[in-house]
Amino acid sequence: MTQTPDWLDRSYDFGDDGIEATLVPDPAFDAWLEAAAPSIHAPQRAPKEAMWSAIEAAQRTARDANAGRIGGVRPLRRPWLMPVTIAATLLLGVALDRMILSRTATPSPHSTAVVATHPPVTDSAARADLYRLAAVQTLGQAEALLTAYRAGGATRPRDASTRQLGSWAREVLGSTRLLIDSPAGADPQLRPLLNDIELVLVQIVRLSGSPLDSTDRALIDGALRDRDLLPRLRTVVPAGTADASIASDD
Amino acid sequence: METESSLPPTRPPALDGQQLLVDRARRGDPAAQRALYDAHVERVYRLTYRLSGREEMARELTQDTFVRAFAGLDAYRGDSAFATWLHSIAVSVSLNELKRRKRQQTREAPLDEALLMARSTPIGDPVLRDRLAAAVDALPEGCRAVFMMHDAEGFTHEEIGMALGISAGTSKAQLSRARAKLRVALAGFEQEWRS
Repeated sequence: MTQTPDWLDRSYDFGDDGIEATLVPDPAFDAWLEAAAPSIHAPQRAPKEAMWSAIEAAQRTARDANAGRIGGVRPLRRPWLMPVTIAATLLLGVALDRMILSRTATPSPHSTAVVATHPPVTDSAARADLYRLAAVQTLGQAEALLTAYRAGGATRPRDASTRQLGSWAREVLGSTRLLIDSPAGADPQLRPLLNDIELVLVQIVRLSGSPLDSTDRALIDGALRDRDLLPRLRTVVPAGTADASIASDD
Repeated sequence: METESSLPPTRPPALDGQQLLVDRARRGDPAAQRALYDAHVERVYRLTYRLSGREEMARELTQDTFVRAFAGLDAYRGDSAFATWLHSIAVSVSLNELKRRKRQQTREAPLDEALLMARSTPIGDPVLRDRLAAAVDALPEGCRAVFMMHDAEGFTHEEIGMALGISAGTSKAQLSRARAKLRVALAGFEQEWRS
C-alpha cells in the first residue's frame, strides 16, 4: 500500500454481489468488453499549458491565503484600490455617454459633419473599451478569488485565511455590483454571469464570518458547480488577466 | 475533436533522480514541479477523463490533483513510485467529486462528447454503445474505477490496488464483478459478442 496524505478520502463504494456473482465467466464477453473498453469516455488531448497556468494561479493564491495574506493579491493590501479603479473606469464611461448625449442635443453647424462620421465611432469604441476593461478586471479578480477558494479546500481552512477570503470576496462583490448597474450589466451575455458571480460571492461573504464547515463549503461548491462558474469565467477572461490586474496594482 | 483513443495509454517517462525532483518540488522549486507535471500530466488526465467522461471535469480534476499533490508533498515519503502516489490522489479526487455530483444530478454527457464517443467506438450499434457507457457509469464507484483503470487504461492490478488502497487480489475480484455486472446489464445484446 502506498503512503497517502491523511486528507485523502479513499472510502470507495464497491457495491454488493448481486445475481452476477452466480455467473460463470464468459471469455467471449470478456474479450468483446476488453476491445470495447478503450472507447468508453475516450480521452481527448490534455490541455497541458492551460491546466498548468491554472495550477500555478491556484498555488500562488493558496500560498497567500495560507500565509494569512490573500492581500498579497493586491486588493487586500490596498482594499480601496480595486473598486476605486473600476469605479473610475465606469465613471469615465458614463462621462463619455453624457458627452455624446450633450453633443446630440446641441449639434453645432461645424460639428455636425464630424459627429456624423468619425467621433461617434471613436466615442462608442472608447466607451466599450472602458466597460470591457472594467469587466475584465472584475471577472479576472473573481476567477482568482474562486480559484483561491477551491485551492483552500486542499488544506485545512483556518480562521485567518477564511476571513481574508471573505474580505477579498467583499471587494470583488462591490466591483461586481458596480458593473451590474453599469451599461456593461446590460450585456445579455455578461449579465447572467455577473448575477451568478454575485450570488456565489454573497455566499462566501456571508459564510466567511467563521471557519467554513463542510455544509458551508457544500453550499458554495454546489453554487459554483451548478452554474459552471469557473469554466464560464475562464471562457470570458483572457489567460493571465488576474495576474495582470494584480501586477498593475503595484 | 481529436482523440487519442487509438494510442496506447502513455506512461510517464522513467525519471532519473525522481526523488530528487520531488525533494526540490517539496521545497517549492517551480522548475521541479513543472518537470513532475510534464512527466505525469498525460496519464493523470487520461485517468480523470476515463473516470469522469467529461473534458471540462477532467481538466478540473487534473488541476485539483496536482494542486493537492504539490501541497501535500510532505506526505510522500518515497515508499512507492511517485506516479502511484499521484494516481491515488487522482482517483480519490475524481471519485469523491463524482460522488458529490451524483448526489445532486444525473450526469448528462454534452453533445460533442456523445458524438466523439460515437466516432471513436468500435461498437456499431448505437443503442448498445449508449447502454454500455450507461452500464459502466452505473457500476459502484470502486468497481468502475477498477474496470476503467484495467480494461481502458491498462493499469496492472498491483497499480490499481495501490491507487485505491486495496490488494491486487481484491482488484482482480472487482474486475470480475464489474465484467459480470456489465454482462447482466447488456444481456439483451448477447449476439454482439457471440458473432
